[in-house]
Amino acid sequence: MDKNIYLVGLNHRSASVDVREKFALTSVADFEKSLLAACPLREVMALSTCNRVEILVVADSARCQDMDISEAVLSHWAETCKGPLDVLRTHTYKNQGLDAVSHLFCVAASLDSMIMGEPQILGQLKKSYRKAVETGTARVIINRLLHKSFSVAKRVRTETAIASSAVSISYAAVELAKKIFGELGGKTAMLVGAGEMAELAATHLLASGIDKLFICNRTYARAQELAKTMHGEAVFFEDMVERLKGVDIVISSTGSPTAIIRAKDIREVLKKRRNRAMFFIDIAVPRDIDPDVNSLDNVYLYDIDDLKEVVEENMSARQGEAVKARAIVDLETDAFATWMKSLALQPTITDLLGRAEDVAQRELAKTLKRLGPVDEETREALEVLVHSVSRKLLHEPICFLKRRTREEGTAERFIDVTRRIFNLDSDPVNPDAHLDRRTSEEDEPLECECCRDPEQESQDASTHTEHQ
Amino acid sequence: MGLPDFLPILIIGLYFLGTGFYVLGSALRNERIKVMALFLGGIGFALHALDLAHQVAGADAAVALTSGRFLFCLLGFGILLIFLLLWWRLKMRFLAVVALPLALVFYATADATSGIKASLPPMLSGLFFLLHIGTLFSSMALLAMGAGAGLAFMHLEKRIKTKTGLKKFQQDMPALDTFDKVNHWVIIAGFPLYTIGLVSGFVWAWLSAKRVFSFDPKEILALVMLGLYAYLFHQRLVYGWRGRKPAVMVICVFLLTVLSMLGINFLVPTTFHGFKP
Repeated sequence: MDKNIYLVGLNHRSASVDVREKFALTSVADFEKSLLAACPLREVMALSTCNRVEILVVADSARCQDMDISEAVLSHWAETCKGPLDVLRTHTYKNQGLDAVSHLFCVAASLDSMIMGEPQILGQLKKSYRKAVETGTARVIINRLLHKSFSVAKRVRTETAIASSAVSISYAAVELAKKIFGELGGKTAMLVGAGEMAELAATHLLASGIDKLFICNRTYARAQELAKTMHGEAVFFEDMVERLKGVDIVISSTGSPTAIIRAKDIREVLKKRRNRAMFFIDIAVPRDIDPDVNSLDNVYLYDIDDLKEVVEENMSARQGEAVKARAIVDLETDAFATWMKSLALQPTITDLLGRAEDVAQRELAKTLKRLGPVDEETREALEVLVHSVSRKLLHEPICFLKRRTREEGTAERFIDVTRRIFNLDSDPVNPDAHLDRRTSEEDEPLECECCRDPEQESQDASTHTEHQ
Repeated sequence: MGLPDFLPILIIGLYFLGTGFYVLGSALRNERIKVMALFLGGIGFALHALDLAHQVAGADAAVALTSGRFLFCLLGFGILLIFLLLWWRLKMRFLAVVALPLALVFYATADATSGIKASLPPMLSGLFFLLHIGTLFSSMALLAMGAGAGLAFMHLEKRIKTKTGLKKFQQDMPALDTFDKVNHWVIIAGFPLYTIGLVSGFVWAWLSAKRVFSFDPKEILALVMLGLYAYLFHQRLVYGWRGRKPAVMVICVFLLTVLSMLGINFLVPTTFHGFKP
């Protein structure tokens, strides 16, 4: 390949938060433009989140053979962030060629994320790519590489169970509720006390379709305040046990030193609600709910340690799925290497003529079948006709491509377009195709990789795709 | 037009493969294998229906309807029919793991009882058949599904209560509430059907033999089952029993049904419900 791909970056594993803060890129577009101006590069794209900075560049091998591209990028990066180059150098990783491709695929598929399988990074990558397209720093190779990375991420998500189970405590609680009740539509929940994690779990429950949320707090004004923001109903603390008869899911997180929900209370509540199942989530330490509650029929109690165990179990399951995901990444990296090789003119002409030959043969066979028995002379004449039509039709496009290869910097673009027009790589249509031509109005607000919100994540993944 | 001789073997083979593949698909969590199993089971079900129709429409239908083969054949068919209803209404595809093996067992038993006849020919007229056999078999099929759902409920509930091995559950496994809903319908629909079946049997016995109760072992066991079923029906509707208790009781009643159907009919020589060569 006469173009080389370089990837320089740092992430949550290679650099501590203060280093990441120091070298975060505040204006990615400006950085891309300035890097393109400072170094003899063909394409640039940068991604900067609070967990990572990835700088992807494409350079001509011939033009840059005497130059250390990665080092040049690092220098420019350190200069842009006004930070010490040696500090940056010690905390960054450098990948080149197919290693860079493989790394990018791993990032897109969330195999390199702090919480493996969380898809926020894909949305961030799409956003950065779109910006690079708008800035004009992403061209043929980055276009193809990023489209491919989106499809790799999709393959990993659909063909492995890497993102199938909850890895946050609040989401694990919601998944458990679904194992007990099935669909949560028509169910009611009560939030007792107000902790951040409990509120998050309540938000997930609301998003999962529960009908009503009661909010109970020792300070009624606080309950009212929360009820307003969460569209729930405030309940007096003294009425809590009485109101439990109409509640299916209880999330408790008060600062009470003793249990506020006792087994004997729940026994009475169960009678009143004719033994309909109840799920208690106790996030408080010390615990708010008497552990004996779990021994009652049709009552299920999970405290913070139980939920942590569920999360850990799910995390280890994700690690197992990562092996399958890495195999997909390796396969796709090989496929990308094949495409890079095909960007030379000669393989494209060969593929183009081969495709024309195929079509001509197929059409000839159909015509001969329709005509029935024909003499040898007619048959030969037909063969000559279809072959000469197909070749003559391709003559001008091939001459055009040859002329472009003599010009600086345009050949791959036209070769790539030709390959796509004639589908010479037999690619399936990617839902992310033409992402570069999306308008910014269609953008959804993206969350940061570290601000995991599993409910939002599935929406993000779907809303950031586009059909051709 | 006669059906080919190999049809029963083909149906048994299809049910056997369906059962095996469904269990394998569940163990490997492979959706394709499960779909293939259901497809094979579906073909078996269609052929099973054809076999039943052929027996009913045959020249010697009156004799065929009294045969052990037809009765077991019908029971296996009823179980699959109830499974399809539960799959359609409650998305309980999971119960294929119970329905397919039971259909296999009952169809294979039916095939093994060829030539064996129930010793009740005078009683089996059309109306009686519908009332007695039809309702009893429907309630048994419901019990079979209820027992399967009950076992699954107890297993899943234990995992949730003890907080162990939750990850091992398949994504498509229904929730506890759904299993309980199956239990509810099994009791709500099954108890009246079972009662009609039993009462019609007693009425017919009175009409034909001027005797309601003969202290036949099968009749005694049927009354015990009716008592249990009635208790379950009462507790579920009046006291709102849910979850583990009704699940355990449905399993017990189903086991008694199997005991009554296979144990007494085949092994107790004194019963006049038995199958005799």
